[in-house]
Parts: sequence; C-alpha cells; structure tokens
Amino acid sequence: MTIRAGSLDRRTLLRGAIATAAVGSFAVACSSPSGKDGDGDSGPKGEKSATNPFGVAANSTVEAAIFDGGYGTDYVDYTNQVLGGQVKGLKVKVEPVVDIAPQLQPRFVGGNPPDLIDNSGEDQIGFLGILDQLEELDDLFEANTYEGKKIADIVYPGVKAPGTFRDKFVALNYVMTVYGVWYSKSLFEENGWTPPKTWDEALDLGQQAKKKGKYLFVHGKEAATYYRTLLIDSAIKEGGDEVRLALENLEKGCWSHPAVQGVIKVMETMVKQKMFVPGGSGTQFQKAQAIWSNDQKALLYPSGGWIENEMKKATKADFQMTGFPSMTLTDKPTLPYESLRAAAGEPFIVPRQGKNPAGGKEVLRAMLSEKAAANFSRTKLAPTIVKGTVPADGYGSTALVTQTKMLEAAGTNIFNYMFVETYGLNTDQLVPFNSFLAGDIDGKGLTSALQKISDKVREDDSVDKVKVS
Amino acid sequence: MKDTTPIAKTASRRPKPAARGGRPRRRKLTFDRVTFFLAFLGVPLAIFVIFVLIPFGEAIFWGMTDWRGFSPDYNFVGFDNFTKMFQDDVFLKALRNVALLAVFVPLVTLTLALGVAVAITLGGPSKGPVRGIRGASFYRIVSFFPYVVPAIIVGLIWAQMYDPNAGLLNGVLTGLGLDRFDTFAWLGEKATAMPSVMFVIVWGLVGFYAVLFIAAIKGVPAELYEAARIDGAGRLRTTVSITLPAIRDSVQTAYIYLGIAALDAFVYVQAMVPNGGPDNSTLTISQRLFNVAFAKQQFGYATAMGVVLAVVTLVFAALVFLVNRLTGGGEGESKRKAPGARARRAAAKGGAG
Repeated sequence: MTIRAGSLDRRTLLRGAIATAAVGSFAVACSSPSGKDGDGDSGPKGEKSATNPFGVAANSTVEAAIFDGGYGTDYVDYTNQVLGGQVKGLKVKVEPVVDIAPQLQPRFVGGNPPDLIDNSGEDQIGFLGILDQLEELDDLFEANTYEGKKIADIVYPGVKAPGTFRDKFVALNYVMTVYGVWYSKSLFEENGWTPPKTWDEALDLGQQAKKKGKYLFVHGKEAATYYRTLLIDSAIKEGGDEVRLALENLEKGCWSHPAVQGVIKVMETMVKQKMFVPGGSGTQFQKAQAIWSNDQKALLYPSGGWIENEMKKATKADFQMTGFPSMTLTDKPTLPYESLRAAAGEPFIVPRQGKNPAGGKEVLRAMLSEKAAANFSRTKLAPTIVKGTVPADGYGSTALVTQTKMLEAAGTNIFNYMFVETYGLNTDQLVPFNSFLAGDIDGKGLTSALQKISDKVREDDSVDKVKVS
Repeated sequence: MKDTTPIAKTASRRPKPAARGGRPRRRKLTFDRVTFFLAFLGVPLAIFVIFVLIPFGEAIFWGMTDWRGFSPDYNFVGFDNFTKMFQDDVFLKALRNVALLAVFVPLVTLTLALGVAVAITLGGPSKGPVRGIRGASFYRIVSFFPYVVPAIIVGLIWAQMYDPNAGLLNGVLTGLGLDRFDTFAWLGEKATAMPSVMFVIVWGLVGFYAVLFIAAIKGVPAELYEAARIDGAGRLRTTVSITLPAIRDSVQTAYIYLGIAALDAFVYVQAMVPNGGPDNSTLTISQRLFNVAFAKQQFGYATAMGVVLAVVTLVFAALVFLVNRLTGGGEGESKRKAPGARARRAAAKGGAG
C-alpha cells in the first residue's frame, strides 16, 4: 500500500511540475489585452491662464513613474518645491520604476497609465507601439517657463527631434547627453599624451600605451556596443548625412559604406595588436569601466556624459575625467572634427489616458524652470536641455565642464540617430561586437553580422518602419 | 529478502474491478462525499482550469496575433509567427542551447546528487549496520547550502567569480601557475561560456537533489542492502543494481523537474550572460522571448515562442517517461515486479561472483 501511495504522490508532483513550467512559459499571456479603454477626459479640470497654460486642476496630484537609473528620481520630486508657486496645491507623486516596460505594460493595456513617465533605461517602452496613446507636447514648447520665457527659446537646438515619431512630438528628452571619448586629463599630462583627433593618431597612442604596459581601450560584455556608437559617430562625421540616413533606414549594404568600413578597418587593427584589455567580452561592463577609471590600465573609453556619475565611486582621485569628440577617419571629414552626437535623453511622456495629463505637462514645465534645471545639473553633474544653467566651474566637475564646452564648440553640428532604439537592436548587436572586440571575428564578419541584423528588420513586414530623412 | 516479498505480493494482488464483478458499484451521494469531492477535487480542478488551462488556450490564441503589447489592438495572423520563428536563426540557436541544457544539466546534476546521497546514506564502513560515511549529516547540510542561496544571487556571485581580470577563479588558476588563464574570459569565450553556465546551475541545484535522493534511499529496506553485502556486492554494484532501480521513480521525477529548470534557466543566464553570450552560445528561449516582447514589442510573436517552449517542455517530459518505461520502469504492471526481481537477481549474481 505504501508503494502505491508513494507513486500517486509522485504523479501529483509531476503534474504540478509540468503545470508550473507551463504557467511560467505562458506568464507573458497573463497581461493580454482585455482592459477597457480608459477615459482621459474624466479627470478634474482647472481654468487655463498664464500661470496655468494647460488648465490643471488646483490641489490635484500627478502620478509620475520615473526610471530609477543613473540619475535617480529625486530630481522629479524636487519640482514639488516650484509646482505650487504656479498652480495652487499641485503635487507630484514620484514612483521609482526600474523595468519600465514590464512594469507599466499592464497599466497601458488596462487603460490607466500614470500621468507622467520617464521612459528610459534598458527596458524602455518602444515609442512606436504607444504613439497613438500619448499626448503631443507641442503646446508645452509654446508655453512660457516659470520665468516667463518661451520654452522653445531656452532649450538647445534639436531637442525635439529625438522625441518626435512620425511627425508627432510626444517625448520631452530632459537630459542633454553628449557622446564622445573620455580620458584622464591628469594621466595624459603626466605622460605628455594628447587626445587623438584622428583614428591614425589613436593608433599611435595605442603604441605608446603599450610601451607603458597599458591598453588603449577596454570594453564590457553588456556595453560592447559603445564601440558601435563610436564607429557610427566617426563614420557619420566622415561621410555625412548619407551614412546616417543609410543606417537609419536600414538600407541594403549600409554597413559597407566606405566611411563605416574605414573605421572598422582601424578597429580591427587595434584588436589584432591587442590594444583592447583582454577578456572584455566576459567582464561585467562597470567592472570593465573601472579598469579604465580606477586601475588606469586603459587610456580611452567611448561613452556618453553619464559616465562620470556612473563611475563616481570607482574613479581614481584626481582623475580629471575629460571628453573629446569622436576621432575622424581622415583630415578632411564631411562634418568638422568638433561635430558630435548629442541627443537629449531621458524621454518623458504624458499618456493620453492618464487621470491628469495636463498635470503631467505642468510637471514638465516645472522641470524646465531655472531652479529645477540648475538643481539637476548641480546634483547629477549632467547638463539639461535648458541652456545656460551650468556655471563655469561646472560645480567642480571636469566632465560637466567639457560637455558644455563640447556642445558650444559643435554649435549646430549636432547629429543623432535612433534606429538602434527604435527597432530594439542593441541586444542583437552586442553579440557580434563582443566577438569582434575579443578577436573571434574580423571586420568582415562584423560587417556581415550587423548587416544581417539590419536586413532582418527591413525585410520583416510585421515591423513598422520609420522613414528618416 | 523473505520479509519483503509478501509486501510486494500484496501490492500486486490488489483486487481489480473485474474481480469484484464488472463495474464498481455506485455509492450513494451523501453530504460527506459531496463536500469531500468539492474540497479535494473541485477546488484543485478549478484552480487548474483557471490558472493553467485557460492561460494555455489564451496563449495559443495570442501566439497567432500580431499584438504589440501596449494597446488592445491586434490582428489575427494565423501561423505566421510560428513559421517566422523557425526561419529565425537566433531562435533556432536558442532552441539548440536549451536542448543542450536539458540534456547535460539533469544528467550531471543527478549523477553527482546520487553520488553524494549514496555516500551519505550507504557509503560507511562495510561492517556493522548499513550507514553513511563519517560526518554524513555535516556533508548533507553543507551540500544543501548552495540551494538555500537564491538563484539570482548564485548567478551574480559566479559572474564575479568568472571575471577575467579580477575574478577569483582566474586568480586561483594563475596562482597555481596556470598562466594561460590570466584574463581568460570564461563567459566570453564560445568554447567555455555554455559549460561555465551549466556548471553554475549544477552547483546550485545538486544539494537539493542529493537530499531528495537521501530520502528516497532511506525508504529502501535495509535488508536488501544487507543481503547484497552478504552476497559480496561492492558499493558501486549496490548503487547500480539496487539503489538505482529502487529509487527510479524519484530519479524520473527529479529528471523532469531539472529538465524544466534547465529549459528555462532564465535567472542564471540573465545574471551571468544577459545578452546571449559569445555568438549567442548561451542564449535561451526565455531570454529571446523577453527581448522580443519588451525590446522589440512583438508580444504576439513572443507568446508564440512561449507556446513552443511549453511544447518543448512537454515533449521533454514525455521523452523521460518513455525512456523510463522502455528501460523497465514506469507505472505499469511490470514496475511492481521489477524492483524486487531486479534486486533479487542482482543479489544472486553478486553472490555468484
């Protein structure tokens, strides 16, 4: 009898086990679209006026889901200090979120999204999928700041572009992100090195570094695509809009453009000559970055302006983190050396179906006030899209100062591209970049792998394409 | 030996329905019986239907749509997602990877777990009563330790251990004079990434299955072992010919559990090689599914992948059942005879040899 009972138990267990697995596999189905359409107009309304351009109801609350990443969420909470000054009793309730898409997806489907979302981070929601559920923000740029100036006039040029999809301006990107190559000014001065302006100079610097037992670059497995950014930036400076548009529109053979190939060729040489810290493709990216910022085993690191804040705790004393624009391929690039990829990042969106969409816009207006923008730069050491809020000393941050300087030097020669984020290609592209930087595949292999990733999206009819021009 | 035989006989001579004369008599539906069925059959069945069968059906339906995940709009696309999936080289690679995991992880884990369990329960001195090695209870607890640590932490710790430049593993290896492991990227080399991941999964789970097997072995009558020992069977012989057949149902259950865990493996790979590893050599279906759903916003397509993963899981379970049945185990009539008969044969052979 005991044997019998035992086997029954096991069978029940087994069924449970299979069921568990099945439920796990189907978990994604749990949030299937069954919610009703929410009604965004039911929220409380206030009178529109000069100090209340969107007609927010007094004493209402704005629910803000803010990406809790490198910049934290306190800077949005800070707007509570200025909000009440214009609209009586308006408050923002900040909810820190790390995995934006998985966490907010059910709320979008259910028709009750938050009023304001910082749609950022690794799991950001692709904009095309929610485009028709978002408020357009053109009226925000037409409104005045808390100081009485028109918002469109106080921000850097081109900040609307990264938040515009299919001619709809739906995302306000708050933080100005400058992409470049970063180095330790103190280390370079000590050794009499100068930051390279061309890829040939970089190759020379790599030789000199080797003499000192150092490497030129370092990469981490989750961030190997920072070298894709560097590659594309250099290629666009060399070949101009032609290169940018080919990549953006996933054109056939876009990765075989001579400008792209020229840079890949030099990178390949650098990999072959062991100018990359070995083992990068198996190293967690922040650890890899510390090899550059703390151990100073590598001289250069391509990254965005967030790097100083990110590595704050793992940076050698007196490192003097400084940036310069990506290297050019030849002496006569189409765009000048000073041109750079700069884009407003941290896209804030206001869902139409929220309870208080006008309040969401009002919080954005508060964030663009001088007080809030200055607070952001001071505490996060990164520039916002509001011009002139960073003092000359950059609050003691060399990185913040160089970012401002780089932006000023570039003037209107600022470009950006979005195809990686638009089609969610980063994870796919990491694979060949890790292989390439580890020396497992050569430039040719990298090119064909990248081309295949672009081709796959272009040929997939089920993916909506954005035509960039 | 004699003591156990009658038990087996009783078990095999349970009165069959036929012996009682055709169909079993219907019993009266008393209040007691009705409430019993409601509580012990109705409730689990309802939970099963609501939380398993309905999501199953729903998932199959959503797998045939192009739902983007953030709005209630979708189109029905039939089997497009499935045909697309089997033309997608990245997905096929993921399928291959999980197949590797499902083959090797259970095999290695269970072999090790059985070894540990046998050592702890039967590995002791060959004189006196059958018992484990000295300090058995200590080893039993220690072997369970990794299982107490949550999988995500196991993954993160090992990601640090494998670090090429600052990791403990390379530090130890180079310290031993193996200089070629200086800056060796365990998770970054195509040849080592998958084995490294498998090792961590095995490391994390072996303790649990050792404890499971210890419990199963303790249910095997000690007389069997004593008889085998008297007949001259060694430890290996006892393990293969007595322990293994006697606990084969536990092994089957464990195999299926582990296979399911290995087919998913999401937590471990996400912690150690979040992007699929070198040349996607450690990419799992669950990672691909997550990426397609949340980065590419193709929830319909991702759900279709989930359906395929579920089918793969069921096929795996069916295969394990089949193999077990073909090798003489299982739930059938043969099973009730087998353990005793096999053990007797083994004992006889051991005695002869």
